[in-house]
Amino acid sequence: MSTLSVGNEKWKEWLLNYSLYVILGVLIIAVVVMEPTFLSFDNLSKIMAQASTRGILALGVAGMIVYTGTDLSAGRILGCCAAISASLLQSVTYASRMYPGITEPLPLALPLLLAMAVGMMFCCLNAFGFAVLKMHPFIISLGTQLIAYGALCLYIDSQAGGAQPLASLDPRYISVVNGSFDIGFMKLPYLVVYLAICSAVMWVIWNKTTIGKNMFAIGGNPEAAAVSGVNVVRNIFQVYLIAGMLYGIAAFLEAGRVQSVTTATGLNYDLDAISGCVIGGVSFTGGVGTIPGVLVGVIILQVINYSLYYLGVNAYFQYIIKGLIIIMAVAIDVRKYISKK
Amino acid sequence: MKPRSSCMFVAICAVIACLFASVASAAAPNIGVLIYKYDDTYISTVRNALTKALDGKATMTMQDGKGDQATQNDQLDVMISKKMDGLIVNMVDAQAAAGVLEKIKAAGIPVVFFNREPNLDVLKTYDKSVFVGTNAADAGKMQGDIIKQLWENKAFDLNGDGKFQYVMFKGEPDNPEAIARTEFSVKQAALNGVTMDQIGQTFVCNWDTALAQQAMESALAANEGKIELVIANNDSMAMGAIAALSNVGYNLEGGSKFIPVIGVDATDQAVDAIGKGIMSATVKQDGEAMGQAVATIMLNMAAGKAPLDGTSYTYDDSGIAVRIPYSPFMGK
Repeated sequence: MSTLSVGNEKWKEWLLNYSLYVILGVLIIAVVVMEPTFLSFDNLSKIMAQASTRGILALGVAGMIVYTGTDLSAGRILGCCAAISASLLQSVTYASRMYPGITEPLPLALPLLLAMAVGMMFCCLNAFGFAVLKMHPFIISLGTQLIAYGALCLYIDSQAGGAQPLASLDPRYISVVNGSFDIGFMKLPYLVVYLAICSAVMWVIWNKTTIGKNMFAIGGNPEAAAVSGVNVVRNIFQVYLIAGMLYGIAAFLEAGRVQSVTTATGLNYDLDAISGCVIGGVSFTGGVGTIPGVLVGVIILQVINYSLYYLGVNAYFQYIIKGLIIIMAVAIDVRKYISKK
Repeated sequence: MKPRSSCMFVAICAVIACLFASVASAAAPNIGVLIYKYDDTYISTVRNALTKALDGKATMTMQDGKGDQATQNDQLDVMISKKMDGLIVNMVDAQAAAGVLEKIKAAGIPVVFFNREPNLDVLKTYDKSVFVGTNAADAGKMQGDIIKQLWENKAFDLNGDGKFQYVMFKGEPDNPEAIARTEFSVKQAALNGVTMDQIGQTFVCNWDTALAQQAMESALAANEGKIELVIANNDSMAMGAIAALSNVGYNLEGGSKFIPVIGVDATDQAVDAIGKGIMSATVKQDGEAMGQAVATIMLNMAAGKAPLDGTSYTYDDSGIAVRIPYSPFMGK
């Protein structure tokens, strides 16, 4: 009717479109109000570094959610791949290392590639169940998760000294993962750079290649995509294999970040990755999602984690608050799609 | 819709802040405490003792590592950012201590590790660090001595073959305490002249009651009548085994059929069970004394004094670790 209400509409639409960023902003402001010291480059770089491995994992899971699927096995697959990287990169002077035969440090790329290969293998199994056997990804990945966990336990238990955590890692490995660039006013952790590279590559795949375009077509309407000539099975395998590579990279980095791999490594990482995606607007109804969204989702989750620790909130309340914030963030974000329909 | 939601959000945050944010007092040091997992019975005892001992003398912030080393690393980052005056760390995975120590050392914060034992040679690289723990092998050895005492009651040799047939419940596969208890309980019993004979594989039940109950149920289904003794790395798993036994008519209060069950920790539940006669014995890991020792040493270090200044504690041979002794408990 009047110009005022038109302005109001625009304002509302802007808020809806950028709701994620608004939530992130409000969250940070709220924490800073409670604890002004929170606002520092040191905290920023730590939050970003912590978000990096989960972020890379989430970039892989996001594709599966676009298909209306999910991946419950991501965490345990990460555990397996991390065990492989760590076992091959234990310091060669550590007496009870897993492979006493390795007396010269291996090139760092080799364990990374192996971890990626193992990640791809497990994802292949998931893709086979989903695309060929027509199982729901929830079920197939539930099975894969147990297989990956069993494999991880067997691998860790196969050491000469029994089930020992895989620790005492090669100093080169630790510095490649945990190092940082000094850019004057703050430290830029390598981990953040790795996340940025992975995100850029994934953005290109999602937006500029047929793999990405077909993925969204299948996620939006699989029958229509098949009828219009999309090779659904091939596309699913492509997306899952890319996810497997990302799991391998995330695992390689996570093992170096924590500097010890046990049978518990990776537990519940899948749920973190899925929550990150969902907060970031990757819709469970399929066909919707963006890479920047995933990144913001993962960062929001990490800001919540970090700030709850920072504020010294009681550990059990942390779960409740985190749950409430996730529900609220998603509730606000989905309005964007409701209003468009 | 949106603006209202954000207002609500800010309101919620404000309420949260009022409820939980800690208020720092001026003089007391800020102590950060990292716990491996809140819902562990023994650690809860230490946690409570620690909280009590620090009350009024320090401002304490405690975090739950939720059994995940990556989570604990994240929490440590925060504690360092907040420039704590002292840190108390109960590692999730003791082998990851090198990386953790590196960060603490770079920040120059005094630290007391407790319970899960990091490599002491790594700890020695930082002069502001101390470890308070137990001697992992001792708990196993005490179990071995208890087994000897039980064995003297020949009634437990059900099949009369002169061997003690036992099932073993182990904590986590790669936990040093679990490994030591599993190994030394049987070794010590053998040294004491008892012939030990294990039935089936060792059950790895992650210190957990429910998992141990499941495992014991299947062990009983396969071997009922052959099991003469249950050895568990902790009381939580021992309780699980007793629950399974009671389901098939053993170890009931005032019942006639009894299979000895021994654990470690002397949790309230286990002490109660021993009192009722449905459990044989446990080894007391003194959580109260542990919490007290950690707090006292931390306060000394945060005040810039020598760690053991004015206390009755002494270092063991390593020169950096304080050991809180175990004691056997077989009922009052």
